[in-house]
Amino acid sequence: MTSVKKWIAQSPPVEWVTQQARELLMGTLRQGPIPQHVAFVMDGNRRFARGNNMETIEGHNLGFEALVTTLEVCYKVGVRVVSVYAFSIENFKRSKYEVDALMDMAKVKIGQLAQYGELMQMYGVRFQFLGRREMLRPDVLEVIDRAIESTSKNGRAILNICAPYTSRDEITTAIRDTVIDYSKPVPPSFKRPFSENRIARNIRAQQLASGSDGPAENDSQFQPDGAPQTEAGASQAPDNTTNGRSDADSASVTSASHTSNTLRPSTTTSTTSPTTFPDPETITSATLTDYMFTAGMPPLDLFIRTSGVERLSDFMLWQCHENTEIVFVNSLWPEFGLARFLPVLLEWQWDQMTGNRGGKGRWNGRGLKVA
Amino acid sequence: MSQRNGSKPKPPRRKPVRKFIRERIYLCLFLIVHAVFAVYMRVRRVVRALKDRMFALTYYHHHTPELIRRDVAKLSKIPRHLSVVVSYDPRGNGGVELERLLNHVGELSAWCASAGIETLSVYERTGILKTHIPTTHAHITSTLHTYFPPHTTPALSLRCPNHPSFSPPSTPPSPFSQTPNPRLTVILLSAEDGRDTIVDLTKTLTEMSQRGKLAPSDISTDLVDAEITESVMGEPDLVVCFGERMKLDGFPPWQIRLSEIFCSPDNSSGVGYQVFLRALHKFGKAQMRFGT
Repeated sequence: MTSVKKWIAQSPPVEWVTQQARELLMGTLRQGPIPQHVAFVMDGNRRFARGNNMETIEGHNLGFEALVTTLEVCYKVGVRVVSVYAFSIENFKRSKYEVDALMDMAKVKIGQLAQYGELMQMYGVRFQFLGRREMLRPDVLEVIDRAIESTSKNGRAILNICAPYTSRDEITTAIRDTVIDYSKPVPPSFKRPFSENRIARNIRAQQLASGSDGPAENDSQFQPDGAPQTEAGASQAPDNTTNGRSDADSASVTSASHTSNTLRPSTTTSTTSPTTFPDPETITSATLTDYMFTAGMPPLDLFIRTSGVERLSDFMLWQCHENTEIVFVNSLWPEFGLARFLPVLLEWQWDQMTGNRGGKGRWNGRGLKVA
Repeated sequence: MSQRNGSKPKPPRRKPVRKFIRERIYLCLFLIVHAVFAVYMRVRRVVRALKDRMFALTYYHHHTPELIRRDVAKLSKIPRHLSVVVSYDPRGNGGVELERLLNHVGELSAWCASAGIETLSVYERTGILKTHIPTTHAHITSTLHTYFPPHTTPALSLRCPNHPSFSPPSTPPSPFSQTPNPRLTVILLSAEDGRDTIVDLTKTLTEMSQRGKLAPSDISTDLVDAEITESVMGEPDLVVCFGERMKLDGFPPWQIRLSEIFCSPDNSSGVGYQVFLRALHKFGKAQMRFGT
């Protein structure tokens, strides 16, 4: 029975019609808002294999086919970034035998994915691998590097393969990198070509030109020493300011307040220690976002996990806890395809077009209030 | 040469018309599909709201801890730490909205205490509850009193990360103190306990590193985990979103790693007992049925 069904589905006219229908659907979806970044947790390959009396590896193969189909749908409707969870760091805590099997599979899969080169070229997809590379086996790394290399010129879309990845590791890495970068002393070469001392002296000179002459001469003696600035300027600064203040006092009351205002910053900046660090208070959540693996990518719009397990399992925590729509699909990953993806996309579009645009509570007022 | 010139501009000239027509067809289809989908969504909302109402009628707590205990008795496991995501609309009528929120928190605390959940963390984005800690404490206590008979009222401790701690009015010593009452810890969370806490930790670590007190290589997942658990809270077992859609709305990201997340889609009843119970049933891998 199933073989007959399969035979009919694979006959050329039927295949052509389904292909046309798929194209039509994807073209239709493209007319509305499209999530820019979609993340998938591909769960359920093993369970699918067990349920259908297959070898585990067969389940993984079908899962891979589902991934290729899903990727094609995503890029066709205009998703720019797709992130998939391939391996967790936790997986590496299993037995060596299992880890080796996983590595072998990764190697094969990535090789296969790279073989879909035309698909990747057609949509301009660039591979990226997010995670702890050093945990991978060298031969797997080689395959990965080759895959990255072959798609490095593409720029329209991105495929993030997260392996070996956990989100906590990503956040920790972001924190560590931020700390490292903020612990580098800032070279004092960012100084602008204007010396504050010189400006202060010029102001004083202008004020004194209208006032008494005596201190102005006194000040001009300082000028040749102070002009070469840097270290000499730092040691002279307090001297100059006290001098300036007493001069200003002798001049007039209004200019006194003026000079003290302009001079105070010069004393504070020139007395700081020689090794200055960037101010830690300038770190914001945007800074950390820029240090995440997904830096520069559009925010995550849609998080999809198959097989009905309703948790994030350490995937994209930083990215998905704000405004991301989280969808748990009941089907297993090998069953996932356009047919299962379509309702999710439609609902996301519907939400974007109705609920999200006019603020949150737009639908609350409509007749359906219960309780 | 002339042939090449003649053939080259042709394809782009022929294609735009086709493309234009195709795009029109797509647009028409898009409108039709979404018109149908909108109808579907409305029907779904009605159906779900009716179902919700049925559940609400079938399962009602009647302010009785025994009934709640019976509702969860068959579950294989109960979360030790439950988190809820509730909303507060700052644009709405302030007093009424706050009153509504306080009622929800009070009810939730009572349900948790009855069901045997030890820790309840309430996430509300704006953190309005944090500015009304004494009121919240009083409200939860009074709600607990309406559920539990005197002397069996669970001991309540209210905690608020990143906030000067609040010492509640001392509870009168119970004459039945030999039988330890169940304890309930309520944690109030807001958006600043999420990303901002991680940012604050980064700032502190940066300062330490700048002063040479810490090598960046010392920063490990365990260290971050220990600090965040200490300053905010540990991982909840179950997170329940009482909104209409499954969005975390800024819930602390570090802690939701392995938590199960529950959302009753199209939930129109807000913080309802039936939603709470459905979440617990889902967590306990049990089916909820109408009737007993």
